[in-house]
Amino acid sequence: MNLVIGGSYQGKTEYALNTFPKARFFNQAHLFIKKRLSEDKTQEEILAEILETTSEGQWVIIADEIGNGVVPMDANERNWRDIAGQILIELAKEATEVHRVVLGIGQRIK
Amino acid sequence: MITLVYGGSGSGKSAFAEDLVCKTNYPNRYYLATMKSFDEEADRRIEKHRKQREGMGFITIEQPTDIANTIVDADSIVLLECMSNLVANEMFAVERNVSFTECADKIIDDVIALSKKAAALVIVTNNIFEDGVSYDEGTKEYMRALGLINERLAKLSNEVYEVVVGIGIKL
Repeated sequence: MNLVIGGSYQGKTEYALNTFPKARFFNQAHLFIKKRLSEDKTQEEILAEILETTSEGQWVIIADEIGNGVVPMDANERNWRDIAGQILIELAKEATEVHRVVLGIGQRIK
Repeated sequence: MITLVYGGSGSGKSAFAEDLVCKTNYPNRYYLATMKSFDEEADRRIEKHRKQREGMGFITIEQPTDIANTIVDADSIVLLECMSNLVANEMFAVERNVSFTECADKIIDDVIALSKKAAALVIVTNNIFEDGVSYDEGTKEYMRALGLINERLAKLSNEVYEVVVGIGIKL
């Protein structure tokens, strides 16, 4: 499993398609995490589900960077930011490669 | 010797900075905690960080403002965690209104004073600048202060890392 991370509208998907043409994609992982949190799933359950889904064959997980802002007023938004961050750190540990995309330019950081 | 560790919320910047400190051999490791507890959520956050650094040999000093007054050994390494809380405390906790430049000047002076007291200083600071939201004037003033401080700290630092999904990228 490989991970592609970066801000929104940075060209992550196109970069991922070009870099991993034969892979299957788990796109918008940050939104998947948000949805599962709204269904009262725990951090561990969500992480396990993503790892399980991406365990067979070559997968690329794509996620938006959502932590680079002012602390949100809304408690659920704060919680989402924290949990998404923790899950992405765990996914990065498991990943073979981690790429970060800024302005459409990808950097392999692992 | 100053090392700056920059990253967003949940980026793993704290764990990365703690790891950096633990790779060094200074006789004393100080954890300069700037966060003030004001509710249960803050308590949980503080507790989470406490657990995370348990067994790493840190001596914790709570110093929500005026970090220049901290007393540490000359041959020690100090981990300042974190700048965003310190700026909030310096800006909003005091009665008088300080401008962002006054606040930045004061904090940078304090950082320089502190760095002279210890052998090494690692500073954790926050990226709060990339959500595209236009905030109220008070928040903007805070963002200006933190932005200016981060820039100046980067100039003062020997090494600067940006942490993304737990991975440190040397800038």
